[in-house]
Amino acid sequence: MAEMTDLAQALGDLDEAMAVALVEEKLARGLEPLAILQELQLGMNLVGERFESGEYYLSELIYGADIFQKASAPLQELLQGQAQEKLGTLVLGTVKNDIHDFGKNIVATLMRANGIEVVDLGVDVDWAAFVQAIKEHQPQLVGMSCLLTTAFDAMKETIQAIEAAGLRDKVTILVGGGPVDENTREYVGADRYCRTAQDGVSAAKQVLGVG
Amino acid sequence: MQEQATFTPPPLYAERMQRLQTAIACGTPDRVPVSLVMDSFAARTMGLKLSEFVSSVDVAAQAMLGTLEKLGDVDSIQFATYAPDVLGLLWLAPVKVPGRELPDDTQWQLDEQVRMQQEDYGRILDMGWSAWLGEYIGKYLGAAVTAAQALAEANPRWVPEYVKRGYVVLSPLTVDHPFEHLCGARTVKEFTLDLYRIPEKVQAVMDLIMVEKREQARQLVRSFGPMGYWVGSWRTAPEFLAPKLWDRFVWPYMKELVEIVVEEGGTPILHYDANWDREIPRLKELPPRRCVLALDSKTDIFRAKKILAGHMCILGDVPPGLLTVGTVDEVRAYCRRLLSEVGPDGYIMAMGCAIPSDAKFENVKAMVDSVHEV
Repeated sequence: MAEMTDLAQALGDLDEAMAVALVEEKLARGLEPLAILQELQLGMNLVGERFESGEYYLSELIYGADIFQKASAPLQELLQGQAQEKLGTLVLGTVKNDIHDFGKNIVATLMRANGIEVVDLGVDVDWAAFVQAIKEHQPQLVGMSCLLTTAFDAMKETIQAIEAAGLRDKVTILVGGGPVDENTREYVGADRYCRTAQDGVSAAKQVLGVG
Repeated sequence: MQEQATFTPPPLYAERMQRLQTAIACGTPDRVPVSLVMDSFAARTMGLKLSEFVSSVDVAAQAMLGTLEKLGDVDSIQFATYAPDVLGLLWLAPVKVPGRELPDDTQWQLDEQVRMQQEDYGRILDMGWSAWLGEYIGKYLGAAVTAAQALAEANPRWVPEYVKRGYVVLSPLTVDHPFEHLCGARTVKEFTLDLYRIPEKVQAVMDLIMVEKREQARQLVRSFGPMGYWVGSWRTAPEFLAPKLWDRFVWPYMKELVEIVVEEGGTPILHYDANWDREIPRLKELPPRRCVLALDSKTDIFRAKKILAGHMCILGDVPPGLLTVGTVDEVRAYCRRLLSEVGPDGYIMAMGCAIPSDAKFENVKAMVDSVHEV
């Protein structure tokens, strides 16, 4: 576990002004952008831990993720073109016949903030697009979201298609969203049910061997 | 609650109304009553495409009534008819509807985008809520207004049809929280960020909306009388918000709207989706034995009962996912637990939120029949 820093603590405490100012100050002092980004990721870990312990709620996850994006924006510009260490890759989408994107978007933001590369396929994604993205990006993880029970069958079909393409044993499939529960996971044939976006991050880290 | 028709309702209606009234007052009726929310499930049951179901409020009402008849001994339905476009007036976002924007048999969905900009808070404060809303509706929500008018016209025709057949229409009208409007127009993400970054402005707008809301709520209940009124919660659920935000932006407004409905003789139906565990004890601040807490399966209903026993009737919460992918035996087992641990006093058997369109008919029937099996 990396050591807590002033910047990580500021983000963990949702002190937006302090987090933004510290990034500027550290850049001005000549610190490596990648090292500063890692401090911010540590701060997001703190936000996630506080969410898991019940101290923080979804609003704090959203705010924390937004502070992360805002504070890391100048770093991302400097880091463009540089190889960044990533923990793994997640192909993510809201399944066919469902256009809800909020849950999926918060998962994408939190995963990225935790060092996981996200290939976001968007909403109303059919099985063929999932299969194609798995072939192309070779992720360790696939995430599917839905807010409608009518999309359960789309999840099931997608997972069957992944299996038919011979890719099922190459990925761990996470599912989540409003009506999804453990019964749904079993019905659609996924590996993990994630009750919250943060659950998804924890599951992903476990799968990647860093949780 | 009082009877809803000017003609003499059949004895079956009186019996069911008595059962519901006893449960709402936290008493123990002759058996636990059943109250359903259904829309697209009725379409499936009656063999209609969703595009047909949404084509007219009369088609929808006919399908809903027909579904009740097929299900057997159901005491009550919460809405007499349905038009999904009307959701747009709650969340200030247009609805994509089958046969119009979506394929014929696809579930309708809210098309949530950032339509209200941050500078609109200032405009609302300058123009007033009604003027701003009128402008917004003109731009985005024409179909929602048409749907609301159609429902207002259909309810007086259809409620008596249900009553004649002995069904109580529990809560055909709604009283909406200002948070839901703003959150829908801004989107969950942007509105959440507003709560952190410009809290004073958001609160000023919510206070301004409430000036109109409290008067509208009072007039609504005075006009339609002592029936049930949905005072719902979707994005205002405690699971989504830090306590300091919830205490400031949700609860004071919610409590006031509930109290107004009660003061005017209505029965607030607290249709609370998502997880309310954290704030269940706060519900003891609401008037005793006058409200119905309707849970969607995300809140621990068994714990809620322990906290609210004798204070508030509870409705719910057979999980939508269980009705869809579960077996009859699983549904029966869950219902038995509800009947023994949440009932028999102060309890109404129901689905969590609404019956999903792809629920298995036999599972819904098992839920309805469960109240006779104890």
